[in-house]
Amino acid sequence: MSEAAPHLVVRGVSKKYGPTTVLDHIDLTIRRGELVTLLGPSGCGKTTLLRAIAGLAQPDTGKVELAGRDVTHVPPHKRNVGVVFQSYALFPHLTVAGNIAFGLKVRGAARREIDAAVERALSLVKLGHLAGRRISALSGGQQQRVALARAIAVEPDVLLFDEALSALDRKLREEMQVELRRLLQDVKATAIFVTHDQDEALTMSDRVAVMNKGRIEQLAEPRELYLRPASLFALNFVGLSTRIAGTVLAAGNGKVEVETKVGRFSALGNFQAGSPVIVAARPEQLRIGEQSEANTAAGRVRSVVFQGSRTLVDVDAGAGESLLAELSGRDGKIPIVHDEIRLSWPVTETFAFPMEAQA
Amino acid sequence: MTEAALPAPLAAPSVDRERLAAIGFVLPSFVIIAGVFALPLVLLLGVSIVDANGLTLANYKRLLGTPYYLGVVWNSLRLGLLTTLIAFLISYPAAFALARARGPLRSVLLATLFLPLAASVIVKAFAWTILLRSDGIVNETLMALGIIEDPIRMIFTETALIVGAVNIFLPFMILPIYAIVAQLDSRYAEAAATLGASPLVTFVRVILPLTLPGIVAGVALVFSLSVSAYVVPTLLIGEKYPTLATAIAKAYLLAREPGFGAAAGVVLLAIAIAVVTLSARLSREPK
Repeated sequence: MSEAAPHLVVRGVSKKYGPTTVLDHIDLTIRRGELVTLLGPSGCGKTTLLRAIAGLAQPDTGKVELAGRDVTHVPPHKRNVGVVFQSYALFPHLTVAGNIAFGLKVRGAARREIDAAVERALSLVKLGHLAGRRISALSGGQQQRVALARAIAVEPDVLLFDEALSALDRKLREEMQVELRRLLQDVKATAIFVTHDQDEALTMSDRVAVMNKGRIEQLAEPRELYLRPASLFALNFVGLSTRIAGTVLAAGNGKVEVETKVGRFSALGNFQAGSPVIVAARPEQLRIGEQSEANTAAGRVRSVVFQGSRTLVDVDAGAGESLLAELSGRDGKIPIVHDEIRLSWPVTETFAFPMEAQA
Repeated sequence: MTEAALPAPLAAPSVDRERLAAIGFVLPSFVIIAGVFALPLVLLLGVSIVDANGLTLANYKRLLGTPYYLGVVWNSLRLGLLTTLIAFLISYPAAFALARARGPLRSVLLATLFLPLAASVIVKAFAWTILLRSDGIVNETLMALGIIEDPIRMIFTETALIVGAVNIFLPFMILPIYAIVAQLDSRYAEAAATLGASPLVTFVRVILPLTLPGIVAGVALVFSLSVSAYVVPTLLIGEKYPTLATAIAKAYLLAREPGFGAAAGVVLLAIAIAVVTLSARLSREPK
């Protein structure tokens, strides 16, 4: 990450629809050339935030600055943004080339300039041979590319993707994720993706903003988001985890001792003694047997799910709590259902979250 | 992709069966249209070009060669064009308002469109004569308000004719446009805006072309209805505004000139077909 000046700044943006708060004082700063994902469940406000940036929704309070300009009250057609919609919204009365040329035409660009830009955008998405086609004659994947080419052709200050890949089937979507990321990096685009798909978020972005109930719960690089979730919601929304409810016995130095129904655990966190908490760890941190500086718990294997490079083992620890371990092929013996096993995981990879924050 | 995956031997006969089924469904309406519509039209054409001495174009020469009858043709065209134009100007925004309306308001608005269709055109035309005559509601109100001192002559003017025709044929313009507008994805306008198109440019380059099929359907319906209207001009303007429709009636009922009436009918039909074909061509998709 370079120290480039902020390119897009969202400051204190709030939005209500009737009594419902959709955006609750959102702050977000994005650097030039950065790819950021707004990740969250439906209704978390991610699409509204995207629309506020595009100028399609007017925030009640707050400011939006784009490329050094305050655009809070600038209508969308004067913002120089590019939007790729979930439904693509390609103009059915125009050809592929006509769609891509639209933005430049309405900006009054010269004919020769338009033709060159259309050709460039088409070759970028590898659809040069389809320039004269009608939109209805294209497949979903092709329409997706045309929508991208149309948005890129006007060289917008920021590209906004509203669940743009979710209409594609899984295999095509995974291919597009990788290709799209490479393409956006090639043209040095600044882009924001809105998605509810954690894989898409982790694959495509330099940073991910996890959104919940109109707030950004955590804004972090994908790796940090996964390894150091800032809230129970972020932990739950990205990746799998083992979670056990308990009460803080003792606290100090950023660590807590937590009493649970299945044993006493050490975890990272700052709480007062007596606080109800959830103790959590990522499944790949759990190992069969003992390790030093580790929490341990025992139980009976409830299910074993083989997933190729990894095997997920669900263990019933009693008292309604369960442990989820992810074992790789190198971990030696994989247990079978009904085995009694003891699992351990490092204290430094164990987190405590406040109980009431559970989504 | 899916089509290619279909085994070819199975695909071919199923297409044939589909075509057979389609023909089967179309057949009854085809027979009816051929029997009660196409056949009489052919007879009509025959009557218009045949007289006691054999083939003749005299009826058409009289219709299209004399100033009086050219005026009649023009009256019909003028009624059709003005009614269609004004109905379109009212209907287009109305269709959008209707599509935006939600819940009970939409039901009420739709009902106000459909209910008048249940009343006979004669009833509606008479209602206009009651409203517009010298001691009618409009004049009485204007005088009571002190806006005018003497009643304005409204009934039996071209204004009354056009107002009545627009009112009576309006649903046939609003409904087809509404049907298209209601399905129009608001994302098209948003996409255009984010690409840099002002609201006006978005309207001209996106909304208008996308709603064209509805406009074409409405124009075709209202024009063909108003250009051939008989009751509306007869009741709202009368003798001084003869149209092709009233000329046809006169030729058959008073003058006993079926050949001439048939020729007027053929010309009227030709005008309607020309306008409908022309407007349909406008709405065709690009290649």
